[in-house]
Amino acid sequence: MLDAQIKDALIRIVGQQNYTDSLIDMVSYSYDASEHRARPSCAVWVENTAQVSEVMKLADREKIPVTPRGAGTGLSGLSVPAHAGIVMDLTRMNKILELRIEDRLAVVQPGLVYADLEKALAPHGFFFPPDPSSGKVCTMGGTVGTNAGGVKGAKYGTTRDYVLGLEVVLADGRIMRTGGKTIKNVSGYDLTRLFVASEGTLGIITEIALKINPKPTVTTTAMASFNDLEDAGRAVSEVMRSGILPSVLEILGRETILAINQNTDLKLPEVDALLLAETDGYTKTETEFQMETVLEVFRRNNPGMVKLATSPEEAAQLWTARKSAYAVLARIKSHFVLEDVTVPIGKVPALLKGIQAIAKKHEIQIATFGHAGDGNLHPQILYDGYDPEQVRRMEAASDELFKLAIELEGTLTGEHGIGLSKARYMTLEHDAVSLEMMRTIKRAFDPNNILNPGKMALDAA
Amino acid sequence: MEAKYDFERKYREQILRCSRCGFCQAVCPVYGATLRPGLNARGKMLLLKEVMDGRIDLSDELIETLFQCTTCASCTHNCPSGVQVPEIVKTARMDMVNIGSCHPAFTGMNEVLKKHPNIYAEDEAEEFGREKKRQAKYVFFAGCVGLYRETEATEAALAVLDKLKVDYTLIEEVCCSGVLEDVGFPLNDALVQTNIDRILATGAEAVITGCPYCARTLNNKPQYAPLRAQGVLVMHIAQFLQDYDLGVHTHKKVTYHDPCDLGRHCGIYEEPRQTIRKLAPNFVELPHHHADALCCGAGGGVRGAYAKNSIDMARRRLREVEETGAEVVLTECNSCVHNLGNAKLRKQKFTICTTTQFIRDLMEEAG
Repeated sequence: MLDAQIKDALIRIVGQQNYTDSLIDMVSYSYDASEHRARPSCAVWVENTAQVSEVMKLADREKIPVTPRGAGTGLSGLSVPAHAGIVMDLTRMNKILELRIEDRLAVVQPGLVYADLEKALAPHGFFFPPDPSSGKVCTMGGTVGTNAGGVKGAKYGTTRDYVLGLEVVLADGRIMRTGGKTIKNVSGYDLTRLFVASEGTLGIITEIALKINPKPTVTTTAMASFNDLEDAGRAVSEVMRSGILPSVLEILGRETILAINQNTDLKLPEVDALLLAETDGYTKTETEFQMETVLEVFRRNNPGMVKLATSPEEAAQLWTARKSAYAVLARIKSHFVLEDVTVPIGKVPALLKGIQAIAKKHEIQIATFGHAGDGNLHPQILYDGYDPEQVRRMEAASDELFKLAIELEGTLTGEHGIGLSKARYMTLEHDAVSLEMMRTIKRAFDPNNILNPGKMALDAA
Repeated sequence: MEAKYDFERKYREQILRCSRCGFCQAVCPVYGATLRPGLNARGKMLLLKEVMDGRIDLSDELIETLFQCTTCASCTHNCPSGVQVPEIVKTARMDMVNIGSCHPAFTGMNEVLKKHPNIYAEDEAEEFGREKKRQAKYVFFAGCVGLYRETEATEAALAVLDKLKVDYTLIEEVCCSGVLEDVGFPLNDALVQTNIDRILATGAEAVITGCPYCARTLNNKPQYAPLRAQGVLVMHIAQFLQDYDLGVHTHKKVTYHDPCDLGRHCGIYEEPRQTIRKLAPNFVELPHHHADALCCGAGGGVRGAYAKNSIDMARRRLREVEETGAEVVLTECNSCVHNLGNAKLRKQKFTICTTTQFIRDLMEEAG
């Protein structure tokens, strides 16, 4: 519980109606979409930058941890208040401040839901390309805070590639602007990018200037099955070498296919891998030309079946398998961890094989799907969290999975972030010098370590 | 460890299956009105999980969220893990009542129904000037809202049935008491028995109701099984009317609000649309429709207990009506009509009514 004087001070800043320490809210703010849990002391619903600044001044003076939070859809414990303190819920700062299509610019508040931005851009024929699976509910602040990606990473990159500038409230309450509103900008250090994927550890993002893209109007979709993982892997590599950049190149592994078949009527071919490809553009000729190259690659690599969708309905059908993966896997066991290890694209088959071996060794179910086109896979480890033995096996499998990804020249996390889940693996990927520089930067921005403490292994000496 | 509460005994697996993805937040009307995640379906499941884990216990502190759910089932419809949130919430409410924690509005409702035959504690029901208790092919069951609040809707439904020369009778109906199960109490056996006796006494082969909630209760609750055992069908008036040629038309631009109780809960989406399209070819869908329809905010006792949020939810729905530019928004639930009507702003010039009201008005215009 907070000191009564601090509580009063917070209420003076945000108003009685925007302060809570009720059990209902404290339990709800203890979680995100990961398995982590830590209860805060209170939460505030901030409405503007001035309130954020005042709360930070108070928190810094009193050395109270502050954990910023959007929709709480993170998968690594980013918004779980590991050291208690104040949860700062930014979802009520949810406006689009500027929409300047000719400047390819959208300026938004951090609490804006991704889908609401999409809805506002659609009439202009524009979009914000990173397409996180949680887009219906996740906020733009969280999207920037984690550098969220999605299924379109191969062609369109991730959030990082679209953030032009920020307004940030620092740990001591000072307000800073970074970057600007131009497509090009090399003026000074790139503080904007420093904040992308900073997981709320360096400052509270209160305004985001985003680059937006014209939205391709036509897509062509196809799917192919491969009895042998090697063939699927070679197909992915060859597509990426072919000169065509598909807008989507997704993979479903055998365990995922079996799980989908056991739980739906989709009757997918029970093979090592399914590849789903989409090409996009502005005319059918253009997208079909690109797809023909992709299909040629598929045909060269011993596919079981190759299906080209000839109508939007057929395309939707092909997507059903990929889209149902998460829901199907979420129902199999009481608990799961959804990882997001990422490797160079050519090493996707090695990663898939390695995952199968790890599952076998630790006798645990790991179903894999993901974004073959950018090397980002989602091994989903399914287990019963109330069975200590299964928890132990899940942890052992995770350990090996991260080691494998690093051995394959990959990274611990392609889009979900380090947060709490992967903090202890940071030394696997980052050398001592790099880690020390990260901690130096953290200390420069947040000397009292009040901003989302406990994350990203930044607290360690 | 033995489960302490019914919600855990019945739904432990489901509550654990909630993966906290938060997708329900995109559609929960209570969250939409409050932006408070503790009131969203995920927030409720997390609290119940912590109760099961022994970290907290059910108590008065949980009333504000457990009793603030319209049971609209939007969350369930969008849940990747298939968690049946409304059923879980209803069971948890009963557990809350059993330990003496309940929203006073619902304790009051239960008391009212012990003494009065309707949820409003009214003594005099509207008289509709039709015969009651006679032998007929159908019984028309109006429901509490239809008898005491939206009486125009009931009068219109009866006028349409008269016009179509349907052989129906009214009865001295009492509250179906289904709402009690929504707010933490068992159905009221005395009321149930009264309805069963009075319906069976007419020799009717089917009950037609204007209330989707009464239809659900009479159709699904085990306490009403004697009706089914006697072969008495229960249908909503939208189902009854779908095959009639009503012979009236309008050029007005019309839209339709799917009531949660008829749509997501019963899967009845097309029957009303079939009728409406025949009447009004200039029919447009609301931005959210069919299984994605937004709740009007009245259900699950929320209108009575959390009126301000309930009205906010209705306003959100009415903004969608505005977006379509429709002159009339039709629905098939008196309770939706009531809440949407209460929330309507002066500047919103469209009409809100039941489909049968609209039909009655068109019939009257046609003479």
